[in-house]
Amino acid sequence: MNITGVGAPRIPIQEPRAGEGVGSVGGSAGVGPKGGFADKLAEAVDKVSEQQLTADDKLSKLASGEDTDLHGTMIALEEADITLRTMVAVRDKVVGAYQEIMNMSI
Amino acid sequence: MNLLDTLQITASGLTAQRLRLQTVASNMANARTTRTEEGGPYKKQLPILQAVQDDPFGSDLEQAMSQVEIMGVVESNEPPVMVHDPGHPDADEQGYVAYPNVNVLEEMVDLMTTARTYEANANVLEVTEGMASNALEIGR
Repeated sequence: MNITGVGAPRIPIQEPRAGEGVGSVGGSAGVGPKGGFADKLAEAVDKVSEQQLTADDKLSKLASGEDTDLHGTMIALEEADITLRTMVAVRDKVVGAYQEIMNMSI
Repeated sequence: MNLLDTLQITASGLTAQRLRLQTVASNMANARTTRTEEGGPYKKQLPILQAVQDDPFGSDLEQAMSQVEIMGVVESNEPPVMVHDPGHPDADEQGYVAYPNVNVLEEMVDLMTTARTYEANANVLEVTEGMASNALEIGR
C-alpha cells in the first residue's frame, strides 16, 4: 500500500480549492464556502495522504534496518490501506451521484 | 475513526508482548550467568504492564477502552539458587555457587503464553481489518 513508492519525493495530494467544483454543493446549501463539503473532502484527503506518508516512512525505515518495529509498520500500512479504501468508496459514491444527475433527462 | 482506534489498542498489545518476549529471551540466555556488572548472579527480569485509558476525556465508552503500556522492567526478588560446586571460581567459602533465580521451565511457559497472546492480538487485528472491509462493501 504505497502511492509514492519508497524513496520517491513526498508531495502531499493537493487539496481542491474551496468554492470550486464540488464546493458549490456546500455553498448553494447556505453553509458558505468555508466548512463546505469541499473543505471536509480536502481535510479527509489530507488525512489519507498523511497516513500514506507515515506508512511510507515506517516502511523505508524498516527496509533500511533503522527501525525494527515489525507490527507497527504493518499496522501503519493497514491503516493507510483502510483510509485509502474509505476515500475511494466515498469518491465512487460522489461520482455516482454526480453522473446520476448529469444523466437525468429533462 | 473507531476501527483505527482498535488498531492502536491492538498495536499496544503486540508491543507489550514483544517486550515480554525480550525479557524471556534475556532470562533464558542468562539462566546460568553467575557474574554481572553489579556483582552476584543475574536476576530474573519481570516486565510491568499497565492499562492506560485510551481517551481520558472522551465518552464513557472511550474512557472504558485501555491501551497497554510498558511501565518498566524490574528484577525478581527471589533468592538465587545455591549449588554446591567448590571447583567453580565464583564459589563462596562453603563451596556454594549462587546461580540466577531463573527457572527455565517457568520461562518456557511464559514463552508459550507470550506467543499465544501475540497471536490472539494479531487475530484481533485481522478481524478489525475484515470488519472495515465489510463496512466498505455496504451498498456496492
